[in-house]
Amino acid sequence: MTLLSRRALLAASAGVLAAPVSTQIANAQTVKPRLTAISQWSAGSDGAAITALGKKFEEHGGLWQHSPVPGFTTEMMNKLRAQILAGDPPACSQLKGPEIEAWSKIAPTVNLDAIVAAAGYEKVVAPDLARIHKPGGKWAAMPLQIYRTNTLFVSKRAMDRVKADKLPTNWAEFNALAEKMKAAGIAYPLANGGSRPDDGQKFEASLAGISPTAYRAAIMNLDEKALKGPEMRAAFVQLRKLADWMDPNTASQAYAVHLPQFVAGDMGMMIQGGWAQGVLLNAGFKLDDFIIGPGPSDNGKPVFLLNADAFIFWQRKEADLQAGQKLMAQLVMDPAIQTMYSQITGSIPVRTDVDLSGPGWSDGQREAAATLKAAVAANQSVLSLAHNMAQENGMTAAMIDVITEYVKNRAITPDQAVARLSEAVEGAR
Amino acid sequence: MSASLRAFTRRLPEFLVIWVPMLLSAGHVVVFTLWTTWVSFTPSTLMPTDGWVGLRNYTAVLGTRNWKIAFDNLLLFGFSFMLLTTLVGLALAILLDQRLRGENVLRAIFLYPLAVSFVVTGTVWSWLLNPGMGVQKLFNSLGWTDFRFDWLVNRDMAIWTVVIAAIWQASGFAMALFLAGLRSVDADLLKAAQIDGAGPLRTYTRVILPSLWPITVSVLVILLQFAIKTFDLVRALTEGGPGIATQLPALVVYDFMFQRGNLGRGSAAAVLMLLTLLAVLLPYAGWTYLQRRRAGA
Repeated sequence: MTLLSRRALLAASAGVLAAPVSTQIANAQTVKPRLTAISQWSAGSDGAAITALGKKFEEHGGLWQHSPVPGFTTEMMNKLRAQILAGDPPACSQLKGPEIEAWSKIAPTVNLDAIVAAAGYEKVVAPDLARIHKPGGKWAAMPLQIYRTNTLFVSKRAMDRVKADKLPTNWAEFNALAEKMKAAGIAYPLANGGSRPDDGQKFEASLAGISPTAYRAAIMNLDEKALKGPEMRAAFVQLRKLADWMDPNTASQAYAVHLPQFVAGDMGMMIQGGWAQGVLLNAGFKLDDFIIGPGPSDNGKPVFLLNADAFIFWQRKEADLQAGQKLMAQLVMDPAIQTMYSQITGSIPVRTDVDLSGPGWSDGQREAAATLKAAVAANQSVLSLAHNMAQENGMTAAMIDVITEYVKNRAITPDQAVARLSEAVEGAR
Repeated sequence: MSASLRAFTRRLPEFLVIWVPMLLSAGHVVVFTLWTTWVSFTPSTLMPTDGWVGLRNYTAVLGTRNWKIAFDNLLLFGFSFMLLTTLVGLALAILLDQRLRGENVLRAIFLYPLAVSFVVTGTVWSWLLNPGMGVQKLFNSLGWTDFRFDWLVNRDMAIWTVVIAAIWQASGFAMALFLAGLRSVDADLLKAAQIDGAGPLRTYTRVILPSLWPITVSVLVILLQFAIKTFDLVRALTEGGPGIATQLPALVVYDFMFQRGNLGRGSAAAVLMLLTLLAVLLPYAGWTYLQRRRAGA
């Protein structure tokens, strides 16, 4: 017995001594891919999804070094800024929308063109989405998942109270249904949060529903004429109606505080991002408590307001980090990985060719993915302003200032709001 | 070892203890102030960059509604906060000075808010003042259904909720300073007033309060810098809302620098804040200098 254990001990120490040598040999042959990443995703379904992605990365032989910076996106960006200033950027970091192009000017990024071309990826991504991940025409960032910000949620019980059975498809039907709910004693037919993006979302849903063409010209391209056009005024008129149907006591609370009232039918509808479905289910509500559909569209064709999370890849000299970046890029393009990620968070995949008929998807996700495909085909998929997809943060904030003030102040007329918005755009240019 | 070297080594600790931190902190303040001022004249956006854009950042900041609202709010908030906190603090100090039983307990209670961070104060008051769940809800459910207290969501009144929360936080501090002042009033003076037949009211207005003047000025100056740098309270209480109705300059600076990714404009706003502070502090410094010269002469 003693002898045996002594022998085992000897064998073990020999193994320990030999181990470093054998890893050195392995390193000389092929580097182990390593990825340093920063994001704000640390908890909830976002945290779970990124952790699952990390596991996949390690299954493919990589070393996953993710440092989450919880809290506001701003804090994550401050860390990124500090690391770039110190000359030590992470191999990849969370960043989205036009900020990708802005940040790609302050530090060199990786050119992913060859990897994207090898995977034949570009033809399965919505063109507007591909464009913002290609600063200077070269892929430098990879979208992870897509959310629709103009998803219409209607409370099943509120529908029952007014004996309605069909989702409104355009603004006239939406307004009629809201009036009906109000008449039936539902004090606030629209459940809304008090935050800036919440107000911004109501505006972008109004304008894109009235005219996606005007949205593209005014909000995405900042065309001066379009910014003062009749569709903008009409959007502010619609926004005033929405504001009057919202609970004014919300202050700066999140929309989620209203979810119990929404499900109980004391509030009727929500215009929210697809993520609200995950929040509802996490709060213990059931899929048949609410109905999901696309936001109102006046021209009869679906409009998709697109929001996407992404990773940008920063240039590193180390061979293991370069290998890690390549592996990461390949992984996030993979339909199986996108399926896994979106099923955890409740988003929809970036690829338009993923089959969503499987049991892991909800009807809401299937409908959103189908709407995206149809909206891309009709050239009616546009980028969300409220979630920093249409403009850089400075321009977005200047525009949201006007929108949120308008929502909170009935004394501002639609004409004044149109004038203020184009002034704010001029000032922020 | 020479005598001078020995003297130097003997004085080395005091040199290290006093001068090193002094130089470091002065360096921090002066160097970074100068650097911020420089950045405010450059086209910097996400990162500080070289270049010269003259006063463009300043005109851009001064042209935004955000800054105009923030500056008006600062005047309104600053004056009412300083004035009301001083008055509440003084009143509390005078009441506590009546040789009460349990004075220590009361003093601790009134000072307690100061130990709480502004974020906590803001969050708690945001619940209390929210009409849907706070004071209004309480009175409504007690049967007083017409009771309205919705300042938090009323854009004209929302800035006063910030004032209320800030007074709650800071008046204990003003009270402590005033109490110390009241206790240090010369007992002979009080006796003289008594002998001259002055009643309690007259004693306060003619003898005690005038002797509190220097403390009042210190309280006001400390509250002033409280007011100008107020940031976390508003962040937690109203997030600058409803809309942008409760913006304050410090929020605008942070917003430009870190949320809008525009270091040049953020720095310009920061320099404007510094100028505001100087506009008040320089006359104060001049006044104290004159006082000291007069006292010395």
